[in-house]
Amino acid sequence: MSTPSQAKTGMIDFRGVNKWFGPLNVLKDITLSVEPREVVVVCGPSGSGKSTLIRCINGLETIKDGDLIVDGQRLGDPATNMTLLRTEIGFVFQSFNLYPHKTALENVTLAPIHVRKIPRAEAEQAGRDLLAKVGLADKVNAYPSQLSGGQQQRVAIARCLGMRPKIMLFDEPTSALDPEMISEVLDVMVAVAEEGMTMMVVTHEMGFARKVAQRVVFMDAGAIVESGTPEAFFSAPKTDRSRAFLSKILRH
Amino acid sequence: MIWQQLQSLAGSYPLALRGLGMTVMLSLISLVLGTALGFGLGILRTGGNRLISSVIGAWVDLIRGTPFLVQIFLIFFILPEFGIELGAFTAGIIALTNLAACFICEIVAAGIRSVPTGQVEAALASGLSRWQRMRQVVLPQAMRIVLPPLVGQYVLLIKDSSVVSAIGLTDLTRVGWLVVQRVPNGLLVFFLVGVGYFIVCYPLIMLARRLERRMGQAHGEVQL
Repeated sequence: MSTPSQAKTGMIDFRGVNKWFGPLNVLKDITLSVEPREVVVVCGPSGSGKSTLIRCINGLETIKDGDLIVDGQRLGDPATNMTLLRTEIGFVFQSFNLYPHKTALENVTLAPIHVRKIPRAEAEQAGRDLLAKVGLADKVNAYPSQLSGGQQQRVAIARCLGMRPKIMLFDEPTSALDPEMISEVLDVMVAVAEEGMTMMVVTHEMGFARKVAQRVVFMDAGAIVESGTPEAFFSAPKTDRSRAFLSKILRH
Repeated sequence: MIWQQLQSLAGSYPLALRGLGMTVMLSLISLVLGTALGFGLGILRTGGNRLISSVIGAWVDLIRGTPFLVQIFLIFFILPEFGIELGAFTAGIIALTNLAACFICEIVAAGIRSVPTGQVEAALASGLSRWQRMRQVVLPQAMRIVLPPLVGQYVLLIKDSSVVSAIGLTDLTRVGWLVVQRVPNGLLVFFLVGVGYFIVCYPLIMLARRLERRMGQAHGEVQL
């Protein structure tokens, strides 16, 4: 997709991005570049702006100033077709947001059929394969209300994968889950990462970060405070704020 | 005594049928048109365009805040002053459709607003267009909230249609007025008129109750 002149930009490129909610500066001078196939984990205390950060990437939030370039296209540019760009970006929500009136399979096939215009039979076959891949072959015709939280989140991941996106964004995908369901979701995310997906994951699951992330970004009060490899970040955090944060989440 | 009076009413049977037919016809046409218009207005009302939304809101408030009888008079007697001549039937249909659309607009808008933001965001994130989001994600879930009060509103509108008798349409209510001039037993005549309305409305009342029960069992979508 990217033109030669933009060859050096990453898959996701924040350049001096700022965002305000009223008087509150929720994103402060964010500069961050995510390479293709890279997995970046974003962590930080609640209210630090990490969800807002990834919600900007697919335009669920708009930015005030700075540049945000995704897959070679500048957000907010009149030439950028946001609806089209969104088809390249999967987004997994904390609260799953499955369509309650549609079965697992229908959740997965809705966008491929209506947006990608893939023939129904083909989309359904692909949808069954994806649901099998996330371990839900037997839940194809179940409604979200009949599934556990972990199962719902796996359907939500399959729903994103059904669009064959270039980027997957995860907004605290395991925070709403009972502890015993967290690993089944993380396992699926690890599998997606290992297939070479470009991913940004807002999570406090440090095991996941150690396993697949190339980089951990630590945010506090709307700014990126520290960024480095998982080993460096966990074993030798450089700032007081990241040390304080780590001591809280690693206590148990 | 009652029997005699009933017999004297038997002659009015064809007239009563015509009146019932007129009531059903008026209600049916204006409910179909009003539902279509009401859904359109309800979708626009929640569509995010401030100007359109507030214009619709103002109109709905105006119509809900004035007596239907006054609205009918305005359409039937005042519009001709401005050169718009309408037959009684057309005026009745316009007035009832407008009334239905306004009430249904608010019911639909409330239903749409009840769908969690996360649903819209999920649809948005997967690249569904505005219309696809409405058609595939929002409306099916809004219908759960919309259907029971919608059917209830139909009942109210069918009863409101009795007001068209004021501009000379021979509906069920007007038949009552005509007959009572010949048969001096208003109680009996209007009892029968009431029975006529009840026969039309009762199935809808039952339907509304049934929908309300079904709401709890469905997976976010209620079908008739």
